[in-house]
Amino acid sequence: MLKRAKLAALTVLFAVALVFMPAAHAQRDRAKALGAKIMCMCGGCSDAAGKCTHMGGAFAGPCETAQKELKEVDDRVSSGSSDDLVLQSFVQEYGPTVLISPPAKGFDLWAWLMPIVMLLAGALLASYVVLQWTRRSEVAPAARLSPDLLARARHQMGGENDD
Amino acid sequence: MDVIGSFALVLALLAAGYALVAGIIGIRTERPLIIKSARNAGLAIFPLVTLAVGSLVALFFENNFSIAYVVEHSNRALPTYYKFAALWAGQEGSLLFWSWLLSIFAFIALFSNRKKHPELMPYVGVILGGIQLFFLILNNFVASPFGLLGAISAAGVPHVVTLADGHGLTPLLQYSEMDIHPPMLYLGYTGCTVPFAFALAALLGRYPGEKWIHITRKWTMVGWAFLSVGILLGGHWAYQVLGWGGYWAWDPVENASLLPWITETAFLHSVMMQEKRGMMRVWNVWLVFITYMLSILGTTLTRSGVVSSVHAFAQSSIGSWFFSFLAIVLVVCLVAYWKNRDYLRTDNQLDSIVSRESSFLFNNLILLAACFAVLWGTLFPVLTEWVEGNKITVGPPFFNKVNIPIALFLLFLTGVGPLLAWRRTSLSSLKRNFAWPLGGGLVAGIVGFAFGDRDFYALVCLILCAFVTLTIFSEFFRGARVLSARSGANLLSSVGQLTMRNTRRYGGYIVHFGIVLIFIGISGQAFNQNVQSSMQVGSSMKIGPYTLVCQNLDAASNANYTAERATIEVFEGKRSLMMLFPERRFYLASQVTQTIVALHSSLAEDLYIVYAGRSPEDDTPVIHAYLNPLVRWIWLGGLVLVLGTVLALIPSRQPQIVLHAERESVPAGVPVSMVHGND
Repeated sequence: MLKRAKLAALTVLFAVALVFMPAAHAQRDRAKALGAKIMCMCGGCSDAAGKCTHMGGAFAGPCETAQKELKEVDDRVSSGSSDDLVLQSFVQEYGPTVLISPPAKGFDLWAWLMPIVMLLAGALLASYVVLQWTRRSEVAPAARLSPDLLARARHQMGGENDD
Repeated sequence: MDVIGSFALVLALLAAGYALVAGIIGIRTERPLIIKSARNAGLAIFPLVTLAVGSLVALFFENNFSIAYVVEHSNRALPTYYKFAALWAGQEGSLLFWSWLLSIFAFIALFSNRKKHPELMPYVGVILGGIQLFFLILNNFVASPFGLLGAISAAGVPHVVTLADGHGLTPLLQYSEMDIHPPMLYLGYTGCTVPFAFALAALLGRYPGEKWIHITRKWTMVGWAFLSVGILLGGHWAYQVLGWGGYWAWDPVENASLLPWITETAFLHSVMMQEKRGMMRVWNVWLVFITYMLSILGTTLTRSGVVSSVHAFAQSSIGSWFFSFLAIVLVVCLVAYWKNRDYLRTDNQLDSIVSRESSFLFNNLILLAACFAVLWGTLFPVLTEWVEGNKITVGPPFFNKVNIPIALFLLFLTGVGPLLAWRRTSLSSLKRNFAWPLGGGLVAGIVGFAFGDRDFYALVCLILCAFVTLTIFSEFFRGARVLSARSGANLLSSVGQLTMRNTRRYGGYIVHFGIVLIFIGISGQAFNQNVQSSMQVGSSMKIGPYTLVCQNLDAASNANYTAERATIEVFEGKRSLMMLFPERRFYLASQVTQTIVALHSSLAEDLYIVYAGRSPEDDTPVIHAYLNPLVRWIWLGGLVLVLGTVLALIPSRQPQIVLHAERESVPAGVPVSMVHGND
C-alpha cells in the first residue's frame, strides 16, 4: 500500500515537473532576452544589463545596477507581465535611454525608417541615372573600335580576358 | 626638451601659415619664386613637427614629471615600449601625433611631386598648408602637450611643480597592439588628406586631364589600407583586452572609423568609371570630399563628447574647433564645386544596363546606404535630444538589423561585379560566368543546412561567400588557362604571371577574397556560446564540448600591477587539451582593474576565458567562458586584404591597355595607347 502511494506521489511529481519545466525554461529565456534589450544604467559602462561586464570595475560581471535590473526583469516576467509592459516599466523608471534600441513609434520611428527611405531613394535615383545614360548612348552611339585596333589590342594583351 | 618642442611647434605653425598665404599669393601673381618658397615652407613643417614629437618622447623617457601631459600618461614603472604609446594616450599628445603623421604625408606628397604637375602642386601645397595650420594652431594654443604642471604659492606666486611620479598609462593601452592600432588608424585618417588636397586642387586649378585622379586613387588606396588595418587591429585589441568576448560593439568611435572607410571603398570602385570611361567625375570628387570630412568628423566625435563612447578623450572645448574646421572645409568644397562645376561636366553614357558600370553604380549606392545608416544611427541620439529633449540609446541591435542585410547585398555585388564586362554583358556570357559560382553557392548552402546551420543570415552569408570565392577563383583560372595555353607554363606559374601582369585587377580580387574571409568570421557570431560560473580549485564548468577545471588560483605582483590568476585545465571528454591562465590585474598608478583574457584560438573556434574577479556576493572567483566560432577568419581575412592592397599598389609588369573608343584610324605599327589598368 505504502509502495503504491509512493509511486503515485512520484508520478504526480513527475507530471507536475513535465508541465511546469518548459514554462520555467521559457520564462528564463524571455527574461534573458529582455535583459539584452535594456541598458545597464550604472553610468560607468555602456553595456546591455544582460551583457554587462563592467569594464574597469572590480568585478567583470553584471555590476550591482545590472543585477538589480535583471532581478526586476525576472520578477516581472514571473508575475506574468508582457514584454512590452516590462520594457515600459523600465522606461518609466529610467527614461527612454534604458532601451538598447529606439522603439519603432513616434519620432524614434525615424531611426528605423530613414535608412530604408534613403536606400529606396538612392535605388530610384541610381535606376533613373542608369536609364538616362543608357538612353543617351542609344541617341548618340558610342564610337566603336575599328576591328584592326581591337585585334592589335587583344594581341598585346596576350589573350587575357578583359571581362 | 619642452622648450625645444614648444619652439619647434611655433616654427612649424609659422611655416604652415607661410605655406598657405605665400602659396595663395604665388598662385594669384603667378610668381614662381613665391610658389617655390611656399612649397619649401610646406616641406619644413615635417622636420619641425618631428622635432616636437621627439622632444615629447624624450620627456617621457627622462620621466620629466613637471610636464602635465607626462604626469597624466606615464609613470616610472611604465615599461619602455609603452612610453611610445603614451604619446597618443591623451588629447594633447594624440593631436601632436596627428600633426606629425599629416606632416609626413604632406612632405611625401610635396617632395615626390616637386618637379611634376606645376599647375597642380601649388594648389596642393596651399591646401595641405591650410590643413596643417589648423592642427598646429591646436597644438600651440588649444592643446599643447608641453604645458608645465603649475601651482600658486601661499604668497600668490605661480611656480612650476615637479611630481615624484606620474599617474601612469591607462591599463587599456598597456597592450602590445596599442603600439600599432592607433598609429594605423591615424595614418588612415590623415591619409585621407592627400587625396582630398589633390581633388580640391584639381577642381580649384581646373587641372586638365585625368592625371589627378590617378594620383588621388593611389593615395586613397594607401589611406584605405591603413584604415583597414587600424579598424581590424582595433577589433582585435577590443577582443583581446576588453574581456567581453566581442570585437565590434558599434560604439560611436568605432562607427566613426568605419564611415570614411566605406566612402573610400566606394571611391576606389567608382574611380574606375572615371579612369576607363571618363564618367562620374562629380560623384568621385564629392566622394573624396566626403571621405575627408568624415575622417574629421570621426576625430571630432572622439574629442568633443557629443556622443558618449568608451573611447572618448576627456571632454573639452576642442569640439567647437573641429566643428568650425568642418564647416570651413564644407564651405570651401561647396564654393569650389559651384564655381568650377562646368569643369567636371561629362557626357555619361551607358551601353547597357547589364554592365560593369551599372554594377559599380549600385555598389556605390549600397556602400553609401551603409554609410548613411551607420552615421544616422550614431547621431540619432543627438538628434532626439535636440528635437524631443531626451536622449535615447541606439545600440548594437539597431546597427545589426539595419546593416546586416545591406552588407550581405554588398557581398553579393562583390561576386557579381567581376563577372560583368565593361560596356555590355551578353546573355550567353552571363550564363557561362554565373553558372558554376551560383551552383557552388547553392551547394554550400545545402551542405551548411545539412550540418545544422539554421540561422538565416549565417546561411545566406555562407552561400554568398562560396559564390564570391568561386567567382574570384574562376577569374584567376580563366586568365591563367589562356596564358598557360599560350606559353606552355603550368597553371600555377601562369596564375603568378597573370597577377603580376595586372596587379591592380588581381590584387583587387585578393582584397575581395579577404573580405569574404572576414564575412565568414563575422557569420560565426550567430553560434556564439557563453557561460559564467563561480569556481573554486577542483570545481568545473562545461561549455560546448569542453569541460573547464579550475586547477589553481594564485596571485602575482610587480611594480606596475598586482594580479589574481586562475589556472584552468581544458578537457574534451576525458582528454586534457591545454592549460589556460586568465588573469585580472590591478594597476597601481592608475588604480584601475583590467582583464587579461586567456585565449585558445583555432580556425574552427576560439575558447575565450575571462577571470571576472571575485563575486561581490560571496567573494568566490568567477570565470566567464565564451566559445566563439570562426573568429580567426576575420584576422586572416585582414591579412589577405592587406596582401591584396599591397599587390594592387605594385606597378604591373607590363603596361595595360585601355581601349579608348577612337573614331580616327591608328596607323599600322603604332602601338595602341597604353594608359593604365583594366580592372
